[in-house]
Amino acid sequence: MKTTFALVGAALGLAVAAPASAGGLLKAPVADWTGGAVTCEIIHQILESEMDYKVKRITMPSGPGVNEGLRAGDLDFACETWPSYSTTKEKYVTEYGGDGSVKYFAPVGVIGQSGYFVPRYMVEGDGAVAPDLKTYADLNKYKDLFKTLESGDKGRLIGCPVAAWECKDAERVEGLSLDYQVVELGSETAHWAEMKAAYARKEPFLAYAWTPHWIFAELDLVEVGLPPHSEEAWPVSDWPEDVTYNYGRPDLSDDHPQVVQLIENFRLSNDEQAGLILAIDIEGKDIEDVASAWLADNKSTWTNWLPKTN
Amino acid sequence: MADVSFERTSGPALNGPWARAGGALAILIASLVILFTFGEEQTFPEAATSRFPFAVWVNGAEDWLQANLRWLTRAISSGVGWALETVEEFLWTVSWWVVLVALVVPSLAYGGLRLALITLLGVMMWGAFGMWYEAMSTLSMMGISVGLSIIFGVLIGVASAQSDRFEAAVRPILDTMQVMPAFVYLLPAIFFFGIGPTAATMAVMIYAMPPMIRLTNLGIRQVPESMVEAARSYGCTPRQMLFKVQIPQALPSIMLGVNQTIMMALALAVLAVFVGGGGLGEQVWKAIVKLKVGWSLEGGLCIVAMAIIFDRLSQAMSAPPVTPKLNRGEVLFRLLPQSWEPYAPARWIEQAINVVWNAVATISGAITGGIASAVGAISRPLGEFIRGRPYLVMGLILIAIIMILQEFAPRSWRPGDYPGDWEISIRKPVDEAIGALTVYPPFYTMTQWMRAVTFLYFLKPIDFFLTHLPWWYITALFTAVAWYVAGWRLGLLTALSLMFCGASGLWGLTMYTITGTTVSVLFCLLIGIPFGVWAAYSRVADAILRPILDTMQTIPSFVYLVPALFFFGGNPTTAVIATVIYAIPPVIRATALGLRQVPVEVDEVARSFGTTPLQALTKLKLPLAMPSIMLGVNQTVIMALAMQTVTPLVAGLGLGKEVYDAMNIANTGKGLTAGLGIVLMAVVLDRLSLAMTANQRAALGLK
Repeated sequence: MKTTFALVGAALGLAVAAPASAGGLLKAPVADWTGGAVTCEIIHQILESEMDYKVKRITMPSGPGVNEGLRAGDLDFACETWPSYSTTKEKYVTEYGGDGSVKYFAPVGVIGQSGYFVPRYMVEGDGAVAPDLKTYADLNKYKDLFKTLESGDKGRLIGCPVAAWECKDAERVEGLSLDYQVVELGSETAHWAEMKAAYARKEPFLAYAWTPHWIFAELDLVEVGLPPHSEEAWPVSDWPEDVTYNYGRPDLSDDHPQVVQLIENFRLSNDEQAGLILAIDIEGKDIEDVASAWLADNKSTWTNWLPKTN
Repeated sequence: MADVSFERTSGPALNGPWARAGGALAILIASLVILFTFGEEQTFPEAATSRFPFAVWVNGAEDWLQANLRWLTRAISSGVGWALETVEEFLWTVSWWVVLVALVVPSLAYGGLRLALITLLGVMMWGAFGMWYEAMSTLSMMGISVGLSIIFGVLIGVASAQSDRFEAAVRPILDTMQVMPAFVYLLPAIFFFGIGPTAATMAVMIYAMPPMIRLTNLGIRQVPESMVEAARSYGCTPRQMLFKVQIPQALPSIMLGVNQTIMMALALAVLAVFVGGGGLGEQVWKAIVKLKVGWSLEGGLCIVAMAIIFDRLSQAMSAPPVTPKLNRGEVLFRLLPQSWEPYAPARWIEQAINVVWNAVATISGAITGGIASAVGAISRPLGEFIRGRPYLVMGLILIAIIMILQEFAPRSWRPGDYPGDWEISIRKPVDEAIGALTVYPPFYTMTQWMRAVTFLYFLKPIDFFLTHLPWWYITALFTAVAWYVAGWRLGLLTALSLMFCGASGLWGLTMYTITGTTVSVLFCLLIGIPFGVWAAYSRVADAILRPILDTMQTIPSFVYLVPALFFFGGNPTTAVIATVIYAIPPVIRATALGLRQVPVEVDEVARSFGTTPLQALTKLKLPLAMPSIMLGVNQTVIMALAMQTVTPLVAGLGLGKEVYDAMNIANTGKGLTAGLGIVLMAVVLDRLSLAMTANQRAALGLK
């Protein structure tokens, strides 16, 4: 060990420090889901190619860590938070009653929707075991299909993976008098792995999921209808729409107003994002290439987002 | 966690095997009676939980620290951050050959050709999997955090060796640092130390420093009293005593601490991604969120390679491998096993190697000698220093040549980055194999059978038992066991720990954690001891098991979580399986070691009395090896508890899940409370198993 350090130390003397980037360095986290990552990548590339910024992309699990980084001033902005899954917005974001240490910039344009899903092979086609499964009202009839070792006599609903998202699956199941046990697999990784393995074996499963998401590019899923969303009935109803938003540290508007202007002008629709997700997750293309191809094809769209130079 | 000071207080009347069996039976009957009297799920009294808002207190303290101490933590992190960036910048810009030489040359000098080959393959793996830059980031983060851990660890270790009171104060802190789940402090670290490798370095230091402190302290305390006395009688000043006597004598122990610190630091390399630490952990994380097993395995193997290189290298530096004794005319084997000496082809290879080896040794000796004489003319001690280290001189010369070539040579001559043509990928075959196994009916039937057995016959009944017995009964029972085995002090600690968990509103979760850990440790024993026996009796088995165990201990658990999910599904059994994979190596190692240390005479005596080999094993050798096995069990228990932090990611329940949930809502108090619950359980179980080992040693008449 000592020798290694000695070698490194000696060699350090020979090393020439590279020049630092000449101002305009921004730091942004890369979301760990494709949609959020590609949204941000488009913004990053515009900043780099049109506005002389350099963006340092930092990989970390999306969640409260990002908010801690923003409020500490170590990160400048982040993309596509889903209000349903942001567990700290009530603490930090003014629009949600927080102290304003994290700032809401503007909606992304992508509208998320959560729900319960079953694989299509269960309800359609020759081997369909539950052809009449359309809405929650039909679930009790088919509960035996969804039984597992751990759920006993009840059917199993693979609920929201993370408790902190407050999906209130258990209350919903009780309110709708469904004879189901809700399990929470702890992480998105476990959630999708369970669904993917069951799908590969053509087993029945009933699981929570949300759109847009790459899982729909891999698995063919059908939504099970829930009573329409209502504030009064919640959580015994469908989810509200998730109006996703971009956000950042509060003083970014003072330090780099042009960056905030760009983020505020930026909009991406569900359909546009779905095409990008498909290219990345199914065609296996690089996220940078997909974003730059989109920029090349949609010049008229994004030039309108550029801040007006004054 | 070496504390064996608890004394056994029980009288001899309680010690017979019949008395013990009777006692256990009585406890079982009493438990069943109570279980059926109450019949329903039990909780801790509300009156206690509502008056003990521990989490609220912690959050209050955190708010105060954030407001008042951040200037200090930020000052520290800017210093550490500068060092990190400098090292990383260097490793990124320099040719990959420099890194190769810097690692392979010391391996060659200290560990011989075999270690040099391992190092060569490990370094090439980083490039071959296309993760060179990530590996360099991890390497710089490890270098800084291990370096700082060594500096502070030695300082604190020396201080605790000087003062018993200081040592007593430090010990519980070290226990906490080692077992406290990283998810408790990773998120707060962001606010205090910033996003990126700096916060990661700080988090790694919390986890990796304790062995350095413990082993420095232990090493200095083990310096023979007579030697200290002698030095003192020659008029040694306290400073001379420390630097000329105590630290040099403690060096083997300190080097073991360095080795342990490196291993622990690498174990945390993946979790660094939670604070944006980058490096190989980032690759593993990116891969598993998309369920790409092959990709995550590549990242994981790069970490394993790094761990093995530094483990072997630091071991070789603290204790150089012994050269085998050779008969006249035998060839020294540097690469192949010495036992192949009788075979001519192997001999030819080794003779050729020896020729090259000797030539290199002669040339580097001559060059070093020349430089040493020249330097010696200016400064004698420096000249001697150089003369003793030819590998250092040769390594620096090679690095200088590479760097000069890189800077001035024509483009095609430049050493440059790891060549793209040498890249390989195992992603596709691994993903395909995992995919095929997932849908292969016989394999799936087997995994589902394992899941059913684990859940129905182990997890469910034990959990039922623990959650349906009243809290006061459980507390009394565990306290009595701890008291009986290790004395009243541990009994008191057990009682207080359970009360803490209960009063913090974590009673049910604590019971589940006990269930999960118990079942996992039980499986580790059932599987691990037979493997240990096998490894003790068969050299081949030992040779096969060793690299597998190394990999199991150092590969990030994230890598096998996804296959475990595919095969076993998201349920508590998967959490048990993941825990067993992580925690089983110490049991296997300790069993093999313990059996091999049983004196040969025991076998001979047993044979002369006509016992069968099986009888000799079960009646004689296993009991004699028990103290050693118990130390392995101790390690396994601690590791199983540590794994409770990761299992929530695969549907694990209990205190670990509470910690993870708390992190997801950025509630430090809630996380710290549950984390302390895990720490307290680990401390109690650690002390308990150490006391049991001490009792066994006493019963066997060992020291």
